[in-house]
Amino acid sequence: MADSSTPAVQIEGLTKVFRLPLRKEKVVAIDNLSLQVGAGEVYGLIGPNGSGKSTTMKVLLGLISPNAGRASIFGLDSGDTASRGSVGFLPENPYFYKYLTGSETLAFYGKLCGLSRKEIRSRSDELLEMVDLTGARNRRLGGYSKGMLQRIGLAQALVGDPRLVVLDEPTAGVDPSGSRKIRDLVLELKRRGITVILSSHLLEQVQEVCDEVGIIFNGRLVREGKLNDLVAIEDQTEIVLQNATPQLLDGIAGLVEREDCAQLLSCGHPRTTLERLFLQEINEESKTGGQDT
Amino acid sequence: MLMASVLLASAGLLRLPFERDMELEFKEQGFRDWSPGLSTRDQLTQAAFVGALGGFRSLVASVYHLKAHNSFVKKEWGDVERYRAVTASLQPKFWSYWDMAVWDMAWNAYGHYRGEAEEYGNDFRGWHAESIIMPRYLEKGITFAKRGLEWLPEDYRLMKVIADIYDQKMGNPEKAAEWYLKASQKPQAPSHVYRAYAHQLTLCAGREEQAYRVTEDLYRNSGNVTLTLLRDMERLEEDMARRAAHDRSYDQLKDAAFAEASGYLEMAAFAMHLLEIRKDVPAAISVYTKVADNRRAPSFYRRKLAFLMAEDPQKAAEAYTILKDLAVSYPGALRREDMARLAELESRLGIPE
Amino acid sequence: MDSEAYSTELSRQHKAFSPSRVWAIAGNTFTQLVRMKVFYFLLIFSALIIGANLLFLSFTFEQELKILKDVSFGAMSLFASIFAIVGTALLIPKDMEDRTLYTILTKPVPRFEYLLGKLMGILLLIGVSILLMSLLFFTVLYIRQHGILAEKIASLPRHASETDIESFRESIFSRGLQPELLLGVIAVFLKAAVAAGVALFVSTFASSTLFTIIVSLVVYFIGHAQSLALDYYFTQGELHSAGQRFLAGLVGVVFPNFQLFNVTDGLTAGEVIPASLMARLVGLTAFYLTIYSLVSWMVFAKKEL
Repeated sequence: MADSSTPAVQIEGLTKVFRLPLRKEKVVAIDNLSLQVGAGEVYGLIGPNGSGKSTTMKVLLGLISPNAGRASIFGLDSGDTASRGSVGFLPENPYFYKYLTGSETLAFYGKLCGLSRKEIRSRSDELLEMVDLTGARNRRLGGYSKGMLQRIGLAQALVGDPRLVVLDEPTAGVDPSGSRKIRDLVLELKRRGITVILSSHLLEQVQEVCDEVGIIFNGRLVREGKLNDLVAIEDQTEIVLQNATPQLLDGIAGLVEREDCAQLLSCGHPRTTLERLFLQEINEESKTGGQDT
Repeated sequence: MLMASVLLASAGLLRLPFERDMELEFKEQGFRDWSPGLSTRDQLTQAAFVGALGGFRSLVASVYHLKAHNSFVKKEWGDVERYRAVTASLQPKFWSYWDMAVWDMAWNAYGHYRGEAEEYGNDFRGWHAESIIMPRYLEKGITFAKRGLEWLPEDYRLMKVIADIYDQKMGNPEKAAEWYLKASQKPQAPSHVYRAYAHQLTLCAGREEQAYRVTEDLYRNSGNVTLTLLRDMERLEEDMARRAAHDRSYDQLKDAAFAEASGYLEMAAFAMHLLEIRKDVPAAISVYTKVADNRRAPSFYRRKLAFLMAEDPQKAAEAYTILKDLAVSYPGALRREDMARLAELESRLGIPE
Repeated sequence: MDSEAYSTELSRQHKAFSPSRVWAIAGNTFTQLVRMKVFYFLLIFSALIIGANLLFLSFTFEQELKILKDVSFGAMSLFASIFAIVGTALLIPKDMEDRTLYTILTKPVPRFEYLLGKLMGILLLIGVSILLMSLLFFTVLYIRQHGILAEKIASLPRHASETDIESFRESIFSRGLQPELLLGVIAVFLKAAVAAGVALFVSTFASSTLFTIIVSLVVYFIGHAQSLALDYYFTQGELHSAGQRFLAGLVGVVFPNFQLFNVTDGLTAGEVIPASLMARLVGLTAFYLTIYSLVSWMVFAKKEL
């Protein structure tokens, strides 16, 4: 650990078993899971519903304790309240106190983070501006739309100036323009050097913003790596253009044709290659066994 | 969870004796005067019982107090009795609940049936109301007061109310005197309770001597001579004098009256003998004059003397002066019927209005 | 900044216990309840005591003032206990259901502080409600006792002496606004505080609001009857089997003794509560709250959210 390389998140051999009440059955939610997120990275956890993404996040945030293994944030164990000093969390479909206004909500969470009154004021101004809720700051949350709630939730997660932000399904149930805003915010966080972990079952989201992804299925991390590594096909190159005219596309096609070894495979709107990869992984997993659900 | 249960249980064991202690002290201070026995359980509704158990005993008592009042308005005396019993048993240290119960029984219900007795006269219904129901309500009143006294043994008011029933409703001066005396011995009792005792004593046949001792003591020492006290004093002294006048001989009485250490009472007995046995009015007047001149003799002797003198035309003027003087200085000494006699005397003497 | 240095800095900065965090949660709880418009109940309360006052003018002043006190104390105790139980049951399970709890506990807030903050918020609410209720109550009582005195004076013969009036004033006022009533108000608060402690504990293992309310109410009622049960089984010990007595004892150990806090019944009947007993009642409340906070924490700390 010489080179400032304490990872933002380190999870080692994590196992969590839930006992079903009144039954003898046990459900293995996480099975010997290990992963690591470097500082400044945007990490995407993907997997279908019930695959263990949320449980992993809860263990990381100290909401539940693991049966085996450990999780830590910047070197502090997740069981230690102090580890939460550097984290911001946005749960899935969050509800806040609907009797509070936007700025009261931020003030409340700011106080929990130990901010002074002055810090709270400047911080909430900045965050409300950032999540585009300045105009709604004095309205009660009861009147917020789903997208607005998600954004105030994000602001709430950021109020303590965290170095790690954990977002559980940040775009679930949010309309397309809302989810676009959230994506932009995640990119903004990345620009500021904040580590982000987000989970999603919508692959498009992850694909657009994540440096690194982990695929979780049945509580196991089945594949992990740099996004580019996972989806890149070595002998293919993808060019994504914006506002390309048909003349330009024709010109490019002409250029390719002039080369001997190159070949234009497809021309059209980009597709989610990650989705393809994901389905492939899951199929393999199902074939090799591990049907304990 | 297991640890929590253990902690909870040990904390329970720890506090139990402490709470027991506090409970006992509360009891001592009069805060725990109700326990839900079977009888109250029967009389309370389910909700009222739970309420009383759940810390609203005082409120439930108030509610039953109102119910009793409603039944009183509707003259449903059975319900009144039941509700009063509940109210009082819920807060037995609140004297007023007992007092209300007694009052509802021995005054209100009793009065209601007296009205019925008067209305139906000698019918069976009238007879039944008068000789069966009315006495029963008096007994109920007394029973309530006595139950109240079990909780409030120092409360003179409940004793006094028993005495009131014996006095005003039953005409039993023996019992009334007994309860007025008990009441008067309680620390908070005002002085009129003891005077009521003295008055009842004067009505008890065969206890005249005792009655006189008490009455005279009040007359001489209490500093508050009420009309009743004065009349009792007069009646008792007159009776004593009359008895002596009739029992003893002239010589005996004369000797006693003029003996060295004799008081005005012996003199009054001699005067009475002269007046009622010898019928010697002038002699009686001269002896009564001696009695009236005695400083210790109450004012009523002067009244008697004056009216005796008024019969004699020669002494009428002097009698009038005495009466006038009495009317000014001891207005209580003269009675209502005396006013007519006084007016008659004035017209005989030709004195203008 | 170096990451390792950052984390050591972080754990150094983090306070294991911070009153300001507790206060933030308490204040938030209080605000939440206030904005749920719970204080509208005060209208009902005023209607009750003023109604009680107007309806029963035909009684003796002693009765009238007692009814006013009974109704006021009764309503106060009822409202305070309901707030304690329902308020607590409404807030903590709701935080869990709505996942608002996640956002709080993922801030550097120890779970104990969360519980403490909620409890304080509820106590604050109960305290403020009782304060407002007793102000209303005392005002009506004050107005009434002066009204009664004025009526009495008006009914006296014109030459009534100053001492007569004085003795009337004394006998009316001794049934009216007396400092002892404050002790009754305090006892009402203490009882509601213990009820809130019970509801706090229940809500840490309950999964729903309804369950918390029902269990807390059951505890509340058994808590009122338990001392009677103990009395019954132990003072007449020979009549009952060892099993019955053990059961009664168990009830006494497990359930709080709410009957101890019933001071107002005696106060309205004119009893006087000694200061030492009152002090012990305060101490007992503190003991109950400490124990309930501790066991709540023990359950809640282990709770999987």
